[in-house]
Amino acid sequence: MAQSYKLRLEISRWDPDRSKGWVQGYEIEAGGILRFTDVFRKINEELDPTLAWNSSCEHAQCGTCSVLINGRAMLACELLVENAVAQFGTTRFKISPIGVAPVVRDLVVDLEHAYERVHRSKPYVIKRVENPLKGGEYRVSPRTLDRYVEATRCINCFCCAAVCISSNKGFLGPNAMLASIVRMMDPREGEKKERLKLLYSERGLYRCHTSKGCSHVCPKGIDVAHFLALAKQGDFQGGRPAERR
Amino acid sequence: MGKKLRISSKTECDALIIGAGGAGLRFGVELLEHKPGLKIVAVTKVGHPQKSHTNTAQGGLAAVDPEDPFDDPVYHMFDTWKGSDCSADQNIIKKIVESAWEQVIWLENHGMHFSRNEEGRLSKRTFGGHTVRFGEASAFRAIYEADRTGKGIMDTLWFEALKGGISFLNQSVATELLFKGNRCAGAVIFNQKNGKFVTVLSKVTVLATGGSGQLYRVTTNCRQNTGDGVGLTLRAGLPVMDPEAVQFHPTGIVGPGILASETLRSVGGILRNKDLEPFMERYAPAMKELAPRDLVARAIENEIREGRGVVNPDHKIEHVWIDLRHLSDYVHDVQIPEVSGFFKKFVNLNPKKDLCPVRPSNHYHMGGIPTDEFGRVMADKRRPIDSLFAVGECASASFHGFNRLGTNSLLELITMGKFAGQKALEYLDQGVESPEGKPGEKTFGLFSQFLEANGKESVFTLRRELQSLMTEKVGIYRRASGLEEAMERIRELRERAIHAPIENKSLLMNQELILRWELENLLWLAFATARAALERKESRGAHFREDYPERRDEYHHHTLVRMERFGRLEISSRPIDMSLYNKKGAHWERFGILERKY
Ligand SMILES: Cc1cc2nc3c(=O)[nH]c(=O)nc-3n(C[C@H](O)[C@H](O)[C@H](O)COP(=O)(O)OP(=O)(O)OC[C@H]3O[C@@H](n4cnc5c(N)ncnc54)[C@H](O)[C@@H]3O)c2cc1C
Ligand code: SF4
Ligand code: SF4
Repeated sequence: MAQSYKLRLEISRWDPDRSKGWVQGYEIEAGGILRFTDVFRKINEELDPTLAWNSSCEHAQCGTCSVLINGRAMLACELLVENAVAQFGTTRFKISPIGVAPVVRDLVVDLEHAYERVHRSKPYVIKRVENPLKGGEYRVSPRTLDRYVEATRCINCFCCAAVCISSNKGFLGPNAMLASIVRMMDPREGEKKERLKLLYSERGLYRCHTSKGCSHVCPKGIDVAHFLALAKQGDFQGGRPAERR
Repeated sequence: MGKKLRISSKTECDALIIGAGGAGLRFGVELLEHKPGLKIVAVTKVGHPQKSHTNTAQGGLAAVDPEDPFDDPVYHMFDTWKGSDCSADQNIIKKIVESAWEQVIWLENHGMHFSRNEEGRLSKRTFGGHTVRFGEASAFRAIYEADRTGKGIMDTLWFEALKGGISFLNQSVATELLFKGNRCAGAVIFNQKNGKFVTVLSKVTVLATGGSGQLYRVTTNCRQNTGDGVGLTLRAGLPVMDPEAVQFHPTGIVGPGILASETLRSVGGILRNKDLEPFMERYAPAMKELAPRDLVARAIENEIREGRGVVNPDHKIEHVWIDLRHLSDYVHDVQIPEVSGFFKKFVNLNPKKDLCPVRPSNHYHMGGIPTDEFGRVMADKRRPIDSLFAVGECASASFHGFNRLGTNSLLELITMGKFAGQKALEYLDQGVESPEGKPGEKTFGLFSQFLEANGKESVFTLRRELQSLMTEKVGIYRRASGLEEAMERIRELRERAIHAPIENKSLLMNQELILRWELENLLWLAFATARAALERKESRGAHFREDYPERRDEYHHHTLVRMERFGRLEISSRPIDMSLYNKKGAHWERFGILERKY
């Protein structure tokens, strides 16, 4: 197994102290199964301690390490060196921050800024319907849950928002829409009117052109565009007829 | 030399949450449920609370459904007590276990997407160590959201925090606790995004900074888990409890250390060494791979130590194999798809065809900041500090004693978070205090040293060296000589760290600077851990001494260590609460000092 690769990474850098941006090349030897986050760490340890990059769990569960690799939005922790070489057919990689928020330094963007859109779409239950079983759980049939459970897997990595052509034009973005669609489909949410207003607002669903860029890049494999398309048609039953209560 | 560090501004709030993970936010949301409109600031080291480590927990959380005809809270209490190697506090066990179901319902009612059974009720599954009728059969007690229970909890809590108006202070670290007499007055926070230090004065403060897995070379923990809360507490002159109680999971995926769940072994995975020998037969002839976590971890570690491990060439880490090749496609595709997926995704191997590399991986810190049953931080054995709380993995109440059962941590977050929040209400009538001394003095002492160092050492190398040292000498196997050597070397590392320069002197999003600060916390925790491990001349739960392989009743107590100055350590003890046993209620005889046999 163990093959090692000589990589050339061209990383977009940004120095906030001097408000200066440039592209810096790094040549580094890396084992095939290192993740790109491992490679960044290796750069820090061996070549340049000042390179800033973001991550947390580093196993594709938190969505902190999203970057553009040769133009494609992805989680750096999920890309192994040997897979990257195979996928892109090269050992040269251009790496830049995802453009969903202002850059703080190098590859680190201001996630708070990006999350602002998700916050606006009110991911929580706005107003609960009355629970027939006081002190117990709401009854939610597994089939009802099945309709939207895929969408609840979103980790807000913003890869979809980074590729969505509409995101720049005031659109709240695919993942923000998804968060609100989940609550439209969640039988516990009692405030559907406000949700509809939100979804069909100026910054809402109509900005989406169903180009499916979002579904294509989602590291969780969520068919984001499908959920958005159904919601545009006012279908919050996941394309299936409403279940009888 | 360099810029003069200073506090840029001062703000006041009702409650300050240091660490906006599961435990911290449950605390905040509890406050808001009683008093909407409170001004609460939640600080997190990551870019947004959702990125906190609670997010990655998979398995589930334990709770006994009162309508379950087979299960009973007393069984859960027993399992926790036994699992802790008779070292958890029984008042805490009782309190947490008895409120577990209510807290699960709370989460569900607030919108968490739990998995459901056919009746639309919460699904339950079994989990290692959880039994009914005192060990007779497996209990269906783990409530879960598919394989992302932690994410479900984290989401529900940050959603509620957002809804209630908690302000998030992201990508920021608390660097110093502030006090006025016996009362905590707030903290100094360093905001990495704007490079500013601010003083936050609060009526109540809670520490909820999570784990400290980065102390070891291979860990299931995230990059930010560097024991900051424990570091802050020690430097404030307050005690830390049972630092030596560190849990290792037997099967972390090499090299990242990603958790490969127990399920791999329960469905028939076989552990093999470099000669492909199924070595568990030698360590546990009857139970083999199904022996308890710590035993399997020790067996693997021993194989590696005796030269029967394999070195992974990319990550340069030794491991053994787990063989899943003989399992049917059904098992692979239906019973272990996620974990199988991890091997594919992170080491590019196909578990149907390839041997997969695993090794023990640091997983959880049972020890931490000692608290009472309300989550109040203890100044000593008996006296709590006013208005300072600690909850979650950084705290130790102690619910887990010397060994934590799977699914009990998430339960602890949401219950202790709630209890502490409730108690904190009592402190809200007082105003904020102005702290003693100069806020920032301790912080600037450290940070200017970091920024001005100009030797030849590298912060990265020092961190690696510390991690290797801890793994070798203060890891799964410990002995007096190794622990003494470790203490000596930790002192040296700290000396060398003083001369480790930072190339970029900026305060703006300077990860090297944060790494240096984290190294300081790790060094403090490392020293306290090694010293406490040396003091405990016995083996108890996850703490295993080769020179004292048995548990000894003379050590039936918690360790308390205090280290206001690095390397100057005072050790004392705190009794283990045995109230379930002493009160002689139903089944009291199950809560005595049990023999450790599975
Ligand atoms: C891979 C994995 C799987 C697990 N699975 C399970 C499971 O199935 N069931 C179970 O019960 N337990 C499980 N656990 C354990 C459990 O997930 C953790 O113990 C728990 O989530 C810790 O929660 P917390 O709120 O204490 O800390 P965290 O969620 O880690 O939150 C800590 C917060 O503090 C912040 N912080 C840290 N330092 C500072 C600082 N200096 N200043 C400001 N903020 C700071 C962090 O950024 C973060 O926001 C698992 C653990 C791991 C690693
Ligand atoms: S389908 Fe819609 S939301 Fe998705 S990328 Fe295209 S425009 Fe954006
Ligand atoms: S929908 Fe997918 S790509 Fe978009 S933020 Fe969520 S997980 Fe990321």
